[in-house]
Amino acid sequence: MAALLELEEVRAGYGQTSVLHGVSMSVEEGQIVSLLGANGAGKTTTLRSVTGGVHWSGDIRFSGRSLKRLSTEDVVRCGIAHVPEGRGILTELTVDENLRLGAYLRKDGGHVRKDYDRVFEYFPVLHERRRLSASTLSGGEQQMLAVARALLMRPRLMLLDEPSLGLAPIVVRAIFEIIRTINQADGVSIFLVEQNARLALEISSQAYVLEVGRVAVSGASSDLMGKESVRRSYLGY
Amino acid sequence: MQALIQQVISGIASGGIFASLALALVLIYNAMGLVNFAQGEMAMFATFIAFTLIDRGLSYWIAFPVTLVIAFAGGVLIQRVVIRPVERAPVLTLVIITLGMATLINGLAGFIWGYVPRSIPSPFSVGTYSVLGAVVSYQDIGVIAISAVVLLLIYLLLQRTTIGLTMRAAAHHPEASRLLGVRVSWMLALGWGLAAAVGAVSGIMVAPVLFLEPNMMQAIIVYAFAAAVLGGIESPLGAVVGGVIVGVTVNLAGALPFVGGDLELAVALAIIIAVLLVRPNGLFGRPSVRRV
Repeated sequence: MAALLELEEVRAGYGQTSVLHGVSMSVEEGQIVSLLGANGAGKTTTLRSVTGGVHWSGDIRFSGRSLKRLSTEDVVRCGIAHVPEGRGILTELTVDENLRLGAYLRKDGGHVRKDYDRVFEYFPVLHERRRLSASTLSGGEQQMLAVARALLMRPRLMLLDEPSLGLAPIVVRAIFEIIRTINQADGVSIFLVEQNARLALEISSQAYVLEVGRVAVSGASSDLMGKESVRRSYLGY
Repeated sequence: MQALIQQVISGIASGGIFASLALALVLIYNAMGLVNFAQGEMAMFATFIAFTLIDRGLSYWIAFPVTLVIAFAGGVLIQRVVIRPVERAPVLTLVIITLGMATLINGLAGFIWGYVPRSIPSPFSVGTYSVLGAVVSYQDIGVIAISAVVLLLIYLLLQRTTIGLTMRAAAHHPEASRLLGVRVSWMLALGWGLAAAVGAVSGIMVAPVLFLEPNMMQAIIVYAFAAAVLGGIESPLGAVVGGVIVGVTVNLAGALPFVGGDLELAVALAIIIAVLLVRPNGLFGRPSVRRV
């Protein structure tokens, strides 16, 4: 069976600087796959390649269809929600308007309303603040908003770029709990970039480790957790 | 007292005209981070189109909406053909391009319609109405009513509809909006269309007061710039409030015996500079703080 998302020998970079030197990865339907690596290894660039935020060569296929030459808007409309580095919150708009933009392309009005209820169940604080400007939210709340908005897009695949960045441990745990729920209850496949390797390996079934633009290690997350080299470099014990 | 009320009301009427053009400037400022120096000329050109339609026998109230539709299409076209290819160019390039467009449109209007000023009939009957003892012309009341309706419609479009929401999102956060599936480039084009249409409203309304000729909007655009900056350049509401303030100020200044018509623009701008000294970001603008 073909994977939901496949990257084949993807090379990408910014201007003269190339960041990815031919990486191949895949995310199966229903999986959580984590992408680990040091700063500058190319994790964010990998996600940006998928949604067309950077020029790339090679091939990227989503559910069998090549994403080559598709604009960001069209990739997203295929069913990929990308929570980018920095969360992509529209701070000029209210919390509610941010959420509406997540769902605005959907035609299934009844389901949208149900999804709103669920999102507010996951993140009650967003319900309290829905009329406020998104710029008034704390970092953790903005991350919740970003995940909630992505969920309202009802994607088949969610790309999450460091959802734990800059957040208090208790908030991180809550968000990862919900990522797991989104995957299990909503059946959304998740491609997760994370600095917190231990957390990422615990939640995912497959993992890739990037080193300066190349896949250094890959395999089942549980295997990686036991691997001496991975443990020393990324788990710190 | 009556004279004062009279001046204020006719100031609000001019304010409505300035507000419409100022709103056009704000819409485009939000879409490309730059004022469109050709906005006044675009409005003038649209007014000539309206005049031509009326001249061909169309009634004013049909020519008016038809012109707005044409102006809208023209605005979208200008964005697609002229602005989009240079979207990522340095600001100075864009300034030169919009200034060039202003000259081009001005020349084109002169070429087609000539430079002889034409008087345009007002759609409102000649006559006056008494408000609190003050005499107010139907023209002023009509202009106030039309401006109010147009500005309200724009407000509802931007704040209460999904397309308005995506337009605002695209203007303020293009990258993040793309990731939500918003077709940013088209939303910016719609912004240009909307700006062109609302600017055309100001031209059509001012034409019966001034004479229609290719340079008609050149005084108005200065007031509109002042109004937009006073309101805080990014704020549609600010543009409207700024427009009314500028309109009333200019009118009152012009009525003062020692100022008169020659200095009214100077006095109005002096007051605006004074306000901006106290609030550099305008009345509704926010201080531009960047996190580093």
